[in-house]
Amino acid sequence: MSIAALALVLLILTPYAIGYRIAFSDVVVTSGWLLFAVVVFLSSYNLRKKLTYPPLLKSSTWLQMHIYLGIAAMVIFLFHTSGKVPTGHLDIALYALFTLMVASGLFGFYLTRTIPTTLSSRGNEVIFERIPLFRRQIKDRVEQIILQSIEQSASSILAEFYESYLMYFLAGPRNVLLHLVRSERTSYRLRHELRESDRYLDEQDKVLAAELDDLIKLKDDLDFHYARQGLLKLWLFFHIPMTLVLLMFLVAHIVLIYAFTYGGS
Amino acid sequence: MVEVNTPVGDKPKRWDLPFGMDFTNEAERREMSFSDLNDLFAKEPFSEMDASRFPDSLPLASIVANDTRIRLYREGDAIVRQGDYGNSAFLILDGDCRAIIEGLDPAQLGRQAGHSKSLLKSVKGLFTNALAPEVRDSRLYPQHRDKAVFDPSGTVFVQDVPNILELSPESYSEARHNIIPEGSLFGELAALGRVQRSVTVVAAGPGTTRLLEIRWQGLRDLMKYDNGLRDHINELFRQNGLKGAFRMSPLIQAIDLDEDQWDQLLAEAEFETFGSYDWHGTYQQLRKRDEDLLTQEPVVQEEGQYPNGLLIIRAGFARMSRRHGAGEYTFGYLGIGDVHGLQELMHNVSTDDHSPIQTTLRAAGYTDIVRVPTRTFEQVIYPAMMKTWPDGNFPEKFLGETMERHKTAMSTRRASWRGDRRKREFSGAPMMEFLAENRYINGTATMLIDLDRCTRCDDCVRACASGHNNNPRFIRHGKIHDHHMIANACMHCADPVCMIGCPTGAIHRSEGGGEVVINDVTCIGCGTCANSCPYENIRLVNVRDQSQDDALMVDPVKGKAIVKATKCDLCVDHHGGPACARACPHDALTRADMDDLLDLSEWLNR
Repeated sequence: MSIAALALVLLILTPYAIGYRIAFSDVVVTSGWLLFAVVVFLSSYNLRKKLTYPPLLKSSTWLQMHIYLGIAAMVIFLFHTSGKVPTGHLDIALYALFTLMVASGLFGFYLTRTIPTTLSSRGNEVIFERIPLFRRQIKDRVEQIILQSIEQSASSILAEFYESYLMYFLAGPRNVLLHLVRSERTSYRLRHELRESDRYLDEQDKVLAAELDDLIKLKDDLDFHYARQGLLKLWLFFHIPMTLVLLMFLVAHIVLIYAFTYGGS
Repeated sequence: MVEVNTPVGDKPKRWDLPFGMDFTNEAERREMSFSDLNDLFAKEPFSEMDASRFPDSLPLASIVANDTRIRLYREGDAIVRQGDYGNSAFLILDGDCRAIIEGLDPAQLGRQAGHSKSLLKSVKGLFTNALAPEVRDSRLYPQHRDKAVFDPSGTVFVQDVPNILELSPESYSEARHNIIPEGSLFGELAALGRVQRSVTVVAAGPGTTRLLEIRWQGLRDLMKYDNGLRDHINELFRQNGLKGAFRMSPLIQAIDLDEDQWDQLLAEAEFETFGSYDWHGTYQQLRKRDEDLLTQEPVVQEEGQYPNGLLIIRAGFARMSRRHGAGEYTFGYLGIGDVHGLQELMHNVSTDDHSPIQTTLRAAGYTDIVRVPTRTFEQVIYPAMMKTWPDGNFPEKFLGETMERHKTAMSTRRASWRGDRRKREFSGAPMMEFLAENRYINGTATMLIDLDRCTRCDDCVRACASGHNNNPRFIRHGKIHDHHMIANACMHCADPVCMIGCPTGAIHRSEGGGEVVINDVTCIGCGTCANSCPYENIRLVNVRDQSQDDALMVDPVKGKAIVKATKCDLCVDHHGGPACARACPHDALTRADMDDLLDLSEWLNR
């Protein structure tokens, strides 16, 4: 259906493109209104998400339409602007907004197609909102282990390791950017450091160190989910509000065009 | 939001709402009167019951007064409809009824969609949902202090009822022209077995037919303390279950049997039960002890054995496994109406080479089996199959699921890992093992989430909440196999063990669709259903009163919060089916019927 819609748009615009029987101003006006209609329809997807129960097609069908019509909007936009950057301030802002909108849409498409697989292949499945709770639990357990180590052995190796590395590592989400590029360098170093100190530990502390190692891995996996699930949520916080700004600019653009071009004549 | 707790009435109890008052239609609500009860105790089976056998906490008179209701039908009115799920049995007090086994068009049965909310109401709900969690209108609750209709003195009074009873020896299935005579009990199979009604019963007059409807909680208690009723119902259960089982098998439905062949089949077929009816308790214990479930499951038929008959699953589930190294691997399961041993029997009857049973069949929890002995199969079923399909080209769909599942299993074994994850067979043996081991095979609307597609946006959760007064009825969390999650959402089980033990019948099958739903008004928050659910898909919540600024409702005597059981209702009262599946932008979520392995396999291997 979406492909058919795209074909229809191209079919309508082709005569305009070759300038056959139609003046340039008509191409601009028609493609402008068409673009406005498409952008309004694309924006209505968020409204559809809010209207859960009326039988308005499945959300996945809407997303498909959103993607294909989004591509169609890019084509119409090129026709509308003749592939040139405008000169007026408002038009430049509108041009930039639309370009950003398209870029964020494509970026979101990429994220939604790539991040889920990485999430399901690493760590435990975790609900984003509960990550702080689990982080806290890990931190509490690590602190118990360190206290136990202090109580049961004369060595302060694990306590020092905690103070030097773990305290900061456990205090909040860490290595967000590294996780976005799937780098495990930091956690590898941390665990390597812990294993290196293994030779200085007594048998009881070795058992505790092994548990610490597991907990570092667990925390690192939580950070991985936090970073990647967070990015999936964050891009929508950019994409959706920008839609409203774009719509406002579009309306202003239309009003000004009619006021100063057609109104003037 | 005000956090002050306000007393709204007594703590809910069983029989707060007698069965006679549990009608949507106000005009039908009527409590049992003194004379009604006197009439009932003068009739069989109640006249034959020994009231002294009933415990003080559960007196016979209270059961009858609260778990039964008198219903009047005009001649021709449908009392129960074939295919419906029912939670009650009927005793004919005056008049006759007629059982119609087949030939009725669904339209003739007046089937229609459930009481869906209007579109306007659904949309309005999106904007008027409560801000606080679990807000209710306490005025709807029967124990609300403003309601004076539940006067306990008007219900319990007859203590010295005459005893002994014997129901009519004739079951409706045996009655001439399917007339069910006065004094008969019907509908007990569906009520106790948690299965669909197998026949349509209409009032046959003359004039008004008067029936006593007994909800299954009452029937269960009556059976528990009265031997006569128990023996009688068990016998009926056995007779009617046998016929019903044959009707549920696609194979038997497809072949053309004459009357003599039917008689032989019914006379020679055997009825067996494996496992425990209350399987969920054992299952939960085994899971806690982390024991291998497969070895604990009773063997119905073992690989390598002589095929001593065609097995038809009447109720419950069975796991199919094969020996593999030192253990066994699961490659499929059977549900109601499926057959086992058919391939081997067909092979043996058509060749001199005798093949033993190829797969072990085990009761996954609880399984009722109808066994058609090999000789009967050879004399009745096989000839009828050859007559129906003379070219020997038996359609797979009529051969039950076994053939299909064998095929799936074969392709599964061949499939394995091919280097490319997308090409991997996700409905293979490990998935079957996962589904059978965790008893997810019970689900008819299991929530499956493909984690490779799910962006964790929670649109599904929000959609669910928006249709349930801002309360999501599932948790996007659950057991994972590979990249598929079975989320904690009610699966609307084929065998809903949550319904066992509900004292008020608040948890029930909806009419028509058969979804397992909870009546919030009659739920007393006892937690029986939540404890019984092996999948932890029912949650008990503290409810708030919208008329008291959303304050928590509390029992004024004990000061404890009023609790209600909640779960996914499959958006039964909304348009368009479950909102969660429709809300997923990436088609990552589906509600799957585990009995339809082909559909499931297709979805898993997209």
